[in-house]
Amino acid sequence: MILDLERFRAQARPRWSKLESLLSALESRPDRRLQPAEAEQLQELYAQTAADLNRVTHGALAPELRQYIERLVARAYAELYYAPPTRSKVWQPRRWLRIFTAFPEAFRRQYRHFGLAVLITLLGSTLGGLAVLYDPAAVDVLLPADYLRNPGQRVDQEVKGQNRHVDSAQIEAAFSAQLITHNIQVALLAAALGVTYGIGTALLLFENGVLLGAVAVRYTQQGFGLFVTAWLLPHGAFEIPSILIAGQAGFYLARLLLRRSEDRAMRRAMREWLVLIGGLALMLVWAGLMEAFFSQHHAPVLPYAFKVGVGAAELVLLAIYLLLIGRRVPTAGEHANVASETK
Amino acid sequence: MMDSQPGRSATTAELTIATPEGVLFRLPLAGIAPRLYAMLFDTAIVLGVVNGLGWLVYAISAKAPGFGAMSITLAEFAIGFAYSALLEGLWNGQTIGKRLFHLRVIDQTGLPLRIEQAWVRNLMRVFDALPFAYLVGGIGVLSSPLRQRFGDRVAGTLVVRETPLAVPREESWTRQKYNSFVNYPAISMRLRKAATPELASLIQDALRRRSELAPYARREIYRELATYLQSEIASFPDELVEMLSDEQYLINAAGVLFGDQRLSKL
Repeated sequence: MILDLERFRAQARPRWSKLESLLSALESRPDRRLQPAEAEQLQELYAQTAADLNRVTHGALAPELRQYIERLVARAYAELYYAPPTRSKVWQPRRWLRIFTAFPEAFRRQYRHFGLAVLITLLGSTLGGLAVLYDPAAVDVLLPADYLRNPGQRVDQEVKGQNRHVDSAQIEAAFSAQLITHNIQVALLAAALGVTYGIGTALLLFENGVLLGAVAVRYTQQGFGLFVTAWLLPHGAFEIPSILIAGQAGFYLARLLLRRSEDRAMRRAMREWLVLIGGLALMLVWAGLMEAFFSQHHAPVLPYAFKVGVGAAELVLLAIYLLLIGRRVPTAGEHANVASETK
Repeated sequence: MMDSQPGRSATTAELTIATPEGVLFRLPLAGIAPRLYAMLFDTAIVLGVVNGLGWLVYAISAKAPGFGAMSITLAEFAIGFAYSALLEGLWNGQTIGKRLFHLRVIDQTGLPLRIEQAWVRNLMRVFDALPFAYLVGGIGVLSSPLRQRFGDRVAGTLVVRETPLAVPREESWTRQKYNSFVNYPAISMRLRKAATPELASLIQDALRRRSELAPYARREIYRELATYLQSEIASFPDELVEMLSDEQYLINAAGVLFGDQRLSKL
């Protein structure tokens, strides 16, 4: 070891303290913007300190000193090479409102992944429906809850119970919050399960489909087709598409992870995933409110035809929103990367 | 442009970053335990806030308990997800718990994390928290060279340890008035050559923690270290060693190891 540690420390200490105070000042600054003069000073101190680091690295008897200088270099490096978002970008309400157009745009860009989610759900519901149709014993396996197995009893309960519901906005409000949080959690899980290369997402969608198909066939078989449509459609019109979009986000994530080695323009890809989730969360808020306040009211209070009509209108509006709002075709420059992800 | 690969070491994981200028530096990665503590602390804060809000809402909405329950459920849910994402995004990768336990989330290239990354890694918690008590996330951390849970892998982030460091002080033994070991420059040189960095810092730590050690423990540790040095590393003449206490022996050795390097001048 050639280096005289004490002398080295004494010589270098002024520039380390200078760098440290400069860094502390920058880090506490909310927008983390550098003045030109500061940038120059930071660059210079960074270079000097990095050189100091090289010297102590070889003098291995000073682990603490090395750690200290290493930390300084790491902090300076972060400040020099990081391009922070401007504060105005973060806090502009207009940018937050962009979600309303960004969501349908992202939805359309990733339509292939949505198609896959629809396909798997359809597969599941066909299987569930056929199973109940041809093998009544399957009902006990496929439909876990008692009320799903015995439609007559359930309908009876629902219709009788609505007297209780008439003046119960309080209960409905609490119920809606539970529905919203539960549904968002499930949807989020479907989107996050993309990290299992989409296998988890596919299983979740498939199971969901089986349940849907089995319930639909079971209720129709027993002559409650109209009731169940009127019961489920007003909120299902938003709830089912949003689960499908969660599946879409999951498959999109899986696709990204499968091409890990390539440059994936991660920043934009992450925003795409987040926009899909943000959008479907908003849809689920609406679905939860409808389920609690509207769907639970049955025939004499709300005629079935009216309920089905409302559900159908919701579906049409949702389709218009998802297909037509925002920019129609991704412009060549800005979205070329994201668009090519799907191909 | 930037090449980052995990450093491999037995006890602590670290990431070595090579900057475009060719500077290499290491970032110490955080293990499971401090991250768990930080998370529990943050959870306590969120629960505190939510319960506080709950009391307030109940007080205000005594006549509409249903709407009170609705707003609490929704607020709890939103705060639970947004707390970490917002704080990490706006506060340079730290929540209150992470700040307390000296942790920071950064991009895996060594740069500060971006707001998108903060949201992605925190929304991915629904997966990492499966099936209970963050089992999946814990396995993810243990199985990953970069100590990443799955949310970190997707977002491309890392959690680093940031224990506060000060410029190491000058220690008393580096400026001794008289160190009897320098009378034997050849043996001193042998000591300096043979001592590994680990041994050197062991001696330094033993001396520095003098007042933290119980007298009996201190005597034992100093005796063991001095005996080891004397018998295995560099044997100073018996007539000198007999006059020194174990502690003085170690102080002299530290003086040789860390002190003024130009022995011959003394």
